[in-house]
Amino acid sequence: MYKILSYFLLIIISIIIAFPFYWLIVTSFKTYPEIYSYPLTYYPHDVTFEHFKEIMRLDIGKYFINSLIVSITTSILSLIIAVLPAYAFSRFSFRGKNSLLTSVLLFQMFPMVIFLMPIFNLLKNIGLLDTYLGLILSYIAFTTPITIIFLRGFFIDIPESLEEAAMIDGCSIFQAFYKIILPLTLPGIASVGTYTFLFTWSELLYSMSFLLSKSKQTIPTFLSLFVGQYQTRWGPLFAGSLLATIPPLIIFIILQRYFIKGLTSGAVKE
Amino acid sequence: MLKISKNEKTAYKMVLPYVLIIVSLIVFLLTLNIYLSFTNNEGNFTFSNYIEAIKDPVFLIMLKNTVIWTICSVIGQLSLGLLVAILLNQIKKGEVIFRSIILILPWATLDIVAGVTWKWMFNDMYGVINDILFRFGFISDYISWLGQPKTALAAVIIANIWKGFSLSGLFFLAGLQAIPVQLYEAAEIDGANVFQKFTHVTIPQLKPILITTLMFTTIWTINYFPLIYTMTGGGPGYGTETFVTYIYRINFKFLEYNKSAALSNILFLIILFISILYIKVLTKEENS
Repeated sequence: MYKILSYFLLIIISIIIAFPFYWLIVTSFKTYPEIYSYPLTYYPHDVTFEHFKEIMRLDIGKYFINSLIVSITTSILSLIIAVLPAYAFSRFSFRGKNSLLTSVLLFQMFPMVIFLMPIFNLLKNIGLLDTYLGLILSYIAFTTPITIIFLRGFFIDIPESLEEAAMIDGCSIFQAFYKIILPLTLPGIASVGTYTFLFTWSELLYSMSFLLSKSKQTIPTFLSLFVGQYQTRWGPLFAGSLLATIPPLIIFIILQRYFIKGLTSGAVKE
Repeated sequence: MLKISKNEKTAYKMVLPYVLIIVSLIVFLLTLNIYLSFTNNEGNFTFSNYIEAIKDPVFLIMLKNTVIWTICSVIGQLSLGLLVAILLNQIKKGEVIFRSIILILPWATLDIVAGVTWKWMFNDMYGVINDILFRFGFISDYISWLGQPKTALAAVIIANIWKGFSLSGLFFLAGLQAIPVQLYEAAEIDGANVFQKFTHVTIPQLKPILITTLMFTTIWTINYFPLIYTMTGGGPGYGTETFVTYIYRINFKFLEYNKSAALSNILFLIILFISILYIKVLTKEENS
């Protein structure tokens, strides 16, 4: 009885939640006259690929590559910086641990906008404004703390006896970590890396503020330029939006188990 | 006695990169903001940035908007998240499919994509929301949703609930699945009905996660920039201007960097206050 009610409600909620996404797909396949038609059509009567051709002609591929460069480098660098601190937080008790852990929790709550100007000035002074490296460095300040929280959650789940056994066999703590722990947590590490990747993939504020030349811009900035004050080119905008959403969507659906575990263990476990 | 054990030494070596790179960078940026906020264009010490920022009539408008945007979004996201989590927890078959559609889809959608999609759906002439409301007879005239401050604020809040409720849904689902079945069985033996089981078992067991989710959602909502930026740009007028969009506008439209530093510090203190409050509440909860 409750089960049937649950399914019924879930179906209704699914339809409502999926609708904006459905609308995005439908609009990107409509011709311009149909986009601006009255009455509204709820599915494309004339399926067209003109908007996809247009977005290809505007070289969306180049912005995909720009986004890939920034996102992949950011996630790899934040993993490298975060992995050992996360391990230390999961295994050792040391003086200052609590304040450092609190700093990790606090840092990921800082609004990105408050550092917009300081980072802008900093990058300008060290000559990294309008470079990928500059943007990546500013992202790392925000992605590393959350990466530490995720990784710590994964490390806690691994019994300490594994490293102890390795150390009895003559491994140092660092060797034990690289040989035993790292391979075991690899799926978790991959999913954190992907999470960072997706955060960067979607990020708009810093990428549009720090990458000034058009040829370097990332996907979100590229898409944002279609929204004009008076006129928005909905067709190519939606075609591009759909293309930009498909990769993260697939990754999310495949890795959802790990994301959910990482997020909740980070937030729930203390 | 200050003796550093071998383990502590290893731990310090391990956390060093984090302290050197991240902590020092953030401390440096915060210091820079504090310095900027207390200097005028000639580089002299002044309080005027703060005074001007607060005296500006927009300050109160955007503060009010931020409060409305945050409270409504948080209530909406938490209740929708809780409802979905409870429903998903009831079923076994098809959980992954429903979870993918309801919780993963909005989460995986890029911020800007969510923004433009909702902007188009709320369009006054060709928007599907007006069309649906009109067809079902809820409205007799098309509403210019994004053209008036009040409806624009409502529109960005609705879009934000859609974009952000997944996270509370996922937190709550994890929390529900961690509640031992025995507690429900015991309550059943004592003759509790569904509603009593919910108020006497589910809610108390879920309390730590409720507090955590409440805090995270509150802070993320205050910080959330791209949705408002794409849907309304803070307009019409200052109708949907929140703290973060206002700081952005001051920076890039008005180029008043010192004033924006002052505003940034005020926002920083607000966030810090909420975080400390949360940590206090959570430690108290854990000790009891």
